[in-house]
Amino acid sequence: MLELRGVRHDYDGRTVLELDAFALKPGMLTAVVGPNGSGKSTLLRLLALLERPTAGAILLDGAVVADPRRRPSTRERRRVTLVEQRPMLLRGTVRDNIAYGLRARGRSATAAATAAAAAADRLGCAGLLDRRRHELSEGEVQRVAIARALAIEPDVLLLDEPASAADRAAAQTLYRTLAEERARRPLAVCLASHQLEDAYRWSDDLRALADGRLSPVTPENLFRVDLPPAGADGMTHAPVGPLAIAVIAERTGPAILAVPPTDIFVSRAPLASSARNVFSGLVTRVARHRPGTVHVTADFGVELVATVTQEAARELGLAPGVPVTFAFKASAVQVF
Amino acid sequence: MDFLGDGLRRAFALLGSADAEVYGIALLTLKVGCVATILACAAGIPVGYTLATKRFWGRRAALTVVNTALAFPTVVVGLLLYGLLSRRGPLGGLQWLYTWQAIVLGDVILAFPIAAALSAAAVQGVDPRVRRTAETLGAGPWRAAWTVAREARFALAAVITAAFGQTVAEVGAAMIVGGNIRGATRTLTTAVALYTAQGDFGLALALGIVLLIVALLVNVALQVLQGRGHA
Repeated sequence: MLELRGVRHDYDGRTVLELDAFALKPGMLTAVVGPNGSGKSTLLRLLALLERPTAGAILLDGAVVADPRRRPSTRERRRVTLVEQRPMLLRGTVRDNIAYGLRARGRSATAAATAAAAAADRLGCAGLLDRRRHELSEGEVQRVAIARALAIEPDVLLLDEPASAADRAAAQTLYRTLAEERARRPLAVCLASHQLEDAYRWSDDLRALADGRLSPVTPENLFRVDLPPAGADGMTHAPVGPLAIAVIAERTGPAILAVPPTDIFVSRAPLASSARNVFSGLVTRVARHRPGTVHVTADFGVELVATVTQEAARELGLAPGVPVTFAFKASAVQVF
Repeated sequence: MDFLGDGLRRAFALLGSADAEVYGIALLTLKVGCVATILACAAGIPVGYTLATKRFWGRRAALTVVNTALAFPTVVVGLLLYGLLSRRGPLGGLQWLYTWQAIVLGDVILAFPIAAALSAAAVQGVDPRVRRTAETLGAGPWRAAWTVAREARFALAAVITAAFGQTVAEVGAAMIVGGNIRGATRTLTTAVALYTAQGDFGLALALGIVLLIVALLVNVALQVLQGRGHA
């Protein structure tokens, strides 16, 4: 449906996004995950047809709608909408805001107000319809912004960190509403998130971005680092928060580190082993991943995620608050 | 200092006596000011919006030109317009020289850079998410511009006030292209200049106070209009 082909995007002469191919399909929820500054928001702004790529093309149903020379028409833009990470409500009431897109499409004030009330109801913000932006909390603004986007029934809905200001219950309501919406019609959704659990649970397709490119590895444990020069043995220690992660690297300077979750050994106490990276901390989350496996997230000053079998998790008694040790070899850490 | 007190007394006496000539001058000043402000803002605010929101080749140069034009001396504008509107000038056919339309033209030229430069600054002060939000919700260029303008309404009202202030306070161009003809092109500022030159400080001051009252009334009207808006 909406597709990027050979897209490169520069800001002030610096390439911030470079994707050979990226496509959103009707009825599918694609999650894009990655560290801050990885290009997620740029990707969403390009998909929202707000900016033209420096190189390459953006296609809608196979036809080019934006490239370095072509600006998308209003009609084309109206098929896609974006809810920004810190959405902005326009002047007027919540009702005016949700009705805005419908009024822009020529709907009468009455019809738009009725549709706005229905959209607000689906997002659980019917009680806010007569309020103005300064009377809402951050989470309420985000909910209203999503109701406003759904009210116009777009073909593609783009969400930048949609649950960042929401509590867990609100986030689950949001994802359930998106699932219902996709069950009702072939809506393509793309969301940028750092909440990996949610991304795994609700998305049909998960992509990791690192330094403006689709990452060849899974999206967990991606860190932007500044690699110090390696010693004679090729090993160096990359600072990641309070940790110094031992890696084998042939390069120095800015790089992305990836620690594959399946390469992490999980134990209740440090074990004697060949692993150069041994960190002790506390479990913060245990979440089901694919059938038979769980994601164990633990806090070591930075969060790391390990994948273990359900049986191992049960035997080790892994639960939030439990002390845990993660160990992985320097050679398991990928640098790119 | 006596002339100040004398001027004040005569100003209120003039206003109270319903002097037809003074009211005629005040009404012409108001008419010229309003027409010139509407024309200058109708052209200048869209130009300011474009300069603030669009990226195009020569944008910075255009901004510099507009900002420089803020300092355009009024007598120079009057002189250039005189050349254009005089019988042998390229716009002589209009026969506007020494008419109120000529004063409006001069005022528009002087107020346009104010409207353009200040509205560009006003629009640049609006959170860029406003226009992005309007666009992502499917607003066309006009609706998006209107949405941004609503967010910048206080600053844009100040732009209109500044443009109006320029048009009613301007004297150099009005004198040259209007000719200060009694009953036809005499505005409050040209009348003040004339009576000052004639040594009638009291009457000049009285007309100056009338000018301030006209400006005050227009600003109060704008304030009332602004007061209708809420966040």
